[in-house]
Amino acid sequence: MEAFLTALAGMGEPATLLTLLLSVAIGLVIGAIPGLTVNIAVALAVPLAIFMPTSQALVMLIGLYGAGIFGGSISAILLNAPGTPASAATVFDGFPMAQRGEATKALRISLVASVFGSIFSILLLILLAPQLADFALRFGPVEIAALLFFTFTIIGVLSGDSMVKGLLSASIGMVLATVGSDPMLGTPRFTFGLTSLLDGLTYVPLLVGLFALAEIIDEVTKGFPRSKQRFDLDQEDRARNRISLPEWRSLLLPMTRASGIGSFIGILPGIGATIASFMAYADIKRSARNPEAFGKGDIRGVAASESSNNAVVGATFIPTLALGIPGDAVTAILLGALVIQGVTPGPLIFVNAPEVVYTIYIVLFASTVLMGVIGYFAIRPLALTLRIPKIYLMPCVALMCVAGSYVARNNILDLFVMLGAGVLGFIFNRTGVPVAPLLITFIITRPFEEAVRQALTQSEGSMAVFFTNPISGGLILFAIGLMGFTLRSERRRRSTARSAPQ
Amino acid sequence: MRTMKLGFPKFGIVGAAVAATLALGAAPADAAWEPKRPIQIVVGFAPGGGTDQTARLIASAAQEFFPVPLVVVNRPGASGTLAAEIVANADPDGHTLLVAGGSESTSVPNHMKTNYQLSQFRGVIRVNREHMVIVTKAGSGLDSIDAVVKRAKEKPGSLSYGSSGPAGILHSAFLVFEKEAGIQMKHVPYQGGAPALAAVLGGHIDMAIITPGDAQAQVAAGKVHAIATTSDRAAQIPDVPSLTDAGYDVNIENMKGLVAPAETPDEAVAYMHERFEKAMQSEGFKTLAAKSKIEPGYLSGQDFEDAMKRMSDSIAAAMSGEQKAAQ
Repeated sequence: MEAFLTALAGMGEPATLLTLLLSVAIGLVIGAIPGLTVNIAVALAVPLAIFMPTSQALVMLIGLYGAGIFGGSISAILLNAPGTPASAATVFDGFPMAQRGEATKALRISLVASVFGSIFSILLLILLAPQLADFALRFGPVEIAALLFFTFTIIGVLSGDSMVKGLLSASIGMVLATVGSDPMLGTPRFTFGLTSLLDGLTYVPLLVGLFALAEIIDEVTKGFPRSKQRFDLDQEDRARNRISLPEWRSLLLPMTRASGIGSFIGILPGIGATIASFMAYADIKRSARNPEAFGKGDIRGVAASESSNNAVVGATFIPTLALGIPGDAVTAILLGALVIQGVTPGPLIFVNAPEVVYTIYIVLFASTVLMGVIGYFAIRPLALTLRIPKIYLMPCVALMCVAGSYVARNNILDLFVMLGAGVLGFIFNRTGVPVAPLLITFIITRPFEEAVRQALTQSEGSMAVFFTNPISGGLILFAIGLMGFTLRSERRRRSTARSAPQ
Repeated sequence: MRTMKLGFPKFGIVGAAVAATLALGAAPADAAWEPKRPIQIVVGFAPGGGTDQTARLIASAAQEFFPVPLVVVNRPGASGTLAAEIVANADPDGHTLLVAGGSESTSVPNHMKTNYQLSQFRGVIRVNREHMVIVTKAGSGLDSIDAVVKRAKEKPGSLSYGSSGPAGILHSAFLVFEKEAGIQMKHVPYQGGAPALAAVLGGHIDMAIITPGDAQAQVAAGKVHAIATTSDRAAQIPDVPSLTDAGYDVNIENMKGLVAPAETPDEAVAYMHERFEKAMQSEGFKTLAAKSKIEPGYLSGQDFEDAMKRMSDSIAAAMSGEQKAAQ
């Protein structure tokens, strides 16, 4: 209790509050810029953290983190260009909503879902951190491989109208993911002798190209039409952007499910917010009574993606605090900053430095609340971005795409990846091939290959481990069942579609 | 953005005081070589990591002694080899340095073809050394190095170790240990040291290598056995024996220092060494190094070069039986 009060008192200082305000605001902006990710923001803040008192340093890093993840949804909804990879799944329904004049509504839902997801996972962190951390440790290579195998079934959900086009997109994603060094031996694959390609095609430029640049090319070829969007400032649109009580109620269950998925993924090592948001999106779509509404501007799609990616933020702190093992790149940087503050992270942190743990809890809450407040007031001005004629807006976005792709690694190769992905995304748009399956296989393939081969190294080549392990066996059976189901309903849909015109 | 100097404001004050003191005592000894434009310190890893921290620490501490800005540039990629390749082929005019001494210098070139060799660098100064500690899960019965060797000899290939990735220094340390102890274990690479430690705690692999700081915290919590360091004993965990103590000739650790392209003139290297050494002696550097748990480990340029060569040679010797992955 004393430690809690110490932590609370540390938070009450004006300097700390000001830091929180600034870092949440900066986090929102950086998150919203395509290509600039939360990782960059946090890494750049570390040198500053050295000279701050512990509570201020934590406030700054955590404020940037949570707000940055939400910020990504702003540009996803307004510009069809996710600001961070974690908001890629927000595009599917957020952008269609904006296009039919409901940008404000989409942003509000995204904000509420983000706050909901954050609070959900922070509560888990406070109440169940040690138990959940121990549970996560039981997920070894075999279980992770099975989980990712299961995740591949998302392709079916994201394929849209044509399963063949979806699979085409997914296979391209998988091929692109094989570029880089072999995860077990380090042997270069498809790198053409370029050292820059040894880490594979980088995700951020690929994403920026496929979404933002493809959108810009699309606008250019159409000559920047003025009428594409309807703006939500007149009286009629204001009514459309209001969210009714039944709508809120319909979101409650999807948001809880998505937050659960996000928290689960967040405690596992090496999977991350991007996969979590795709998984949650697919889950909510699959469980909906009218899945065909998704992808055309369904509020549940936005809510699912955004609540799960923010749930990851709180959940990554579970292994970080309970085990002293960082849950992702951002928490790794945060742990480093704690060391500089003289706090030894590790399982004993609850005993040795309870005030730090409480500070982290309070800061997580405070930054979430502040994100809600700032977000609430920022939504309408942000939605006004859409009033800027495309002919002025798009070149600015293009500039950010180029800068964002480059600064992540200071590597010129990433620019070419971005440009190539932009052209590919444009071709996909025009031919009706969905981009989402490409993205999801691209992200999953690498960790999947790694986990499978780690498991096979342990079992000395025997595939039996995947079936004798209860978690993995169950997941694989479930995945196969789901695939069979998807194929059957696809066939039924096609046969009814064929007979319908008669 | 990255070209901005990310300041350590307090160094300004401390550094200025130190500089003023030194200016009273010493006249410039080397008028021969002077840097003409900003000196780039290239880091092969992303901002916020350990290598980046070391670079920013030494750069900000040394800034007072240089007439030109010292700029830390991050060129992350391919376990640091991308940055090494860039610096190896940079103009050897004393304006480009690399933070070296870890995987990219001593380990990776022994495993696969890189577009540079260790011999393409010359040492400027070693800044710090980081001990590496082998840990096993508490309660696994593998509570000492003898227990590990005994188990490995009873059932060859039954034990497994995790690394931060193929060809990295953690992988190499285990290879050298295997060779010295005459044992065979399975290698399971992870994306970084943290997931490998998680895999040990979860019982998915038998051992991993972590830093003394992490080992201290995990041992205190009763989660792992710290069975040995892979070089000599570490001051932070004096009770943990070293592999050398146990009779295995293993001397692998993660060093960080500055190197320049091999053809950089002697005067330039001497000029920079003198200033970086002064920086390492400053109070500001010492305080911040202690705060960041960076273990200062000064060596002259030549000694640093020799230390890297010795480590690389011992890894090469351990590899001679193995096949190089990508030849």
